[in-house]
Amino acid sequence: MSITLLIFLLILIVTLGITYWAAQRTKTASDFYAADSQLTAAQNGFALAGDWCSAAAFLGFSGLTALYGMDGAFYALGPLVAFCTVLFLIAEPLRNSGKYTLGDVIRSRMQTRSSLLAAIAGTIVVNFAYLMPQMAGAGVLVRLLTGISYDWAVIFVGVSMIVYVAFGGMLATTWVQIVKAVLMLGAGAIVLVMALSLVHFNPLTLFADTEAKYGAGYLLPGNYLKNPFDQISLGLGYVLGLAGLPHVMTRFYTVPDAKTARRSVVWVMFLAGAFFAGTTLFGLAAADFVGQDAIRAADKGGNLALPLLAQHLGGGKGSVGGELMLGFVAAVAVATILAVVSALTLSTSSSIAHDFYVNWLKGGQVEGRQEVWIARLAAVIIGVLAIALGILAQGVNVAVLVILAICVAASANFPVLVLSLFWRRFNTGGVIGGMTAGLVSSVALAMIGPAMRGSDALWPLVNPTIVSLPIGFLGAALGSLIAARDLENEKRFDAFLLQVHTGRAPE
Amino acid sequence: MRGDRRVEAAHAAVRALVAAKIRFLLPMTIIYIVGYVGLTVVAGFAKDVMAIKIVGPLNIGFALIALNYLLSWALALIYERVANRVFDPLSAAAAESVRGAVR
Repeated sequence: MSITLLIFLLILIVTLGITYWAAQRTKTASDFYAADSQLTAAQNGFALAGDWCSAAAFLGFSGLTALYGMDGAFYALGPLVAFCTVLFLIAEPLRNSGKYTLGDVIRSRMQTRSSLLAAIAGTIVVNFAYLMPQMAGAGVLVRLLTGISYDWAVIFVGVSMIVYVAFGGMLATTWVQIVKAVLMLGAGAIVLVMALSLVHFNPLTLFADTEAKYGAGYLLPGNYLKNPFDQISLGLGYVLGLAGLPHVMTRFYTVPDAKTARRSVVWVMFLAGAFFAGTTLFGLAAADFVGQDAIRAADKGGNLALPLLAQHLGGGKGSVGGELMLGFVAAVAVATILAVVSALTLSTSSSIAHDFYVNWLKGGQVEGRQEVWIARLAAVIIGVLAIALGILAQGVNVAVLVILAICVAASANFPVLVLSLFWRRFNTGGVIGGMTAGLVSSVALAMIGPAMRGSDALWPLVNPTIVSLPIGFLGAALGSLIAARDLENEKRFDAFLLQVHTGRAPE
Repeated sequence: MRGDRRVEAAHAAVRALVAAKIRFLLPMTIIYIVGYVGLTVVAGFAKDVMAIKIVGPLNIGFALIALNYLLSWALALIYERVANRVFDPLSAAAAESVRGAVR
């Protein structure tokens, strides 16, 4: 345990150093929200990988594969395929048409206050639904890995993220994500090579061994995801939900142009995709070498499969190599959480400061320096709120929130964004209709489903995306058609398209 | 007057660009959605198909998962190439024609 703390302390010192450096360079609103849009494609690609791989991906996918076989591999695949949606539909238009937030895109298309408010609601609901389970997960994980108590773990994670975001803004957040991504990929590569060396670099041996140990059913689908519709729903949620996550959208404002935005998605697809594919092999290797019983004994959800595998590969429990490997992987897991919660805090404070305070409340009439201070203040308040919610969430079932985050992103934010970018007739009524329908149907169905009510569920699916997504699109379409036609808006659509596809407005 | 005509020309160029993008992206999108959602449908409703072994202990299910990884990467590279070679010049031309134009 002391090795974990030591390695983690090192990571902490490096990231705080980065924050100090970033704080010197963060003066304008554009610095704070978007690192002055000066990142390269590779930097943004690594940062996206750090952004998108949460602890659920780093530890969870390996654990699911170790315990449930093929279903874990399914879980790992969706987050990669999701980037096709981002690459084809979202990344470049966002870069060209917005400044810092989802609210910017909707505002520039609709130019109405109520549509901006709808975008703010979509951003904040998704970010908090994502942030709260991350905080709760951080508490459990840091306690598990280092032995400090749940409350202190949450406070520690919360204070670190407040420091990164409030002082260093997007530049510090980006570099925390890059450091984390490099460590994560490094740890993955080391574990992969060591694990494969035990089977003479023939991964098929892992399949044969685990099948021999756990039976033919292990390599088949349906061990974890029992309801086929749930599986399809989860897949849809991932593939379309990623494109509706505000903290991922924000990353495309950190590059100078559409070409760089595009290139950075290709980067993340290879970096994160390789890691996701790796988790399937880690899981099989953990099941083979560590064994399901030992993995379950350490954590019933399987979250410690990868750290235990690393320990085994390093020489086993008690050996210097084993403890070093365990400490390294555990420290990377904590860094992973920090990178994700920082991004969520930054994205939420951008929406509160830039969308809500500056553009909604003050009609854009706020001086740049003042805006930065408001954004910093927002980051502190959100951080404190996240710590409080994280502590309150101890022992509460937060699984429903994890589902909600991705489901609302897919069912509310995604339809509204896509229709804003592509449909001339789309109007403020449609924005409000789509947000409301997507949000209400996601929340309602998740609340009456098995994630919240267990066996008393009034509705069979854990993940409601398969139903709430069409409802979101329907709400957006009906809202547009019922509301009076906004002819000004339709006339402006040509100029908006020019902006979206070339990055240039008629002057 | 001249500015108006240039803006109109730029708008027409962008509409052509959007049409070209949709023509290219629609099949690309259908491929990955059908590939991925199709995989989950087969996994959910035709478990015995997924169980068929192809190489040693490797069954069709894992092979299809691996294929989906390769497909996503391939589509990303194809899109990037086409965007760089076809869409970017069209977009630059539209942007150029509107430069200095007055709305």
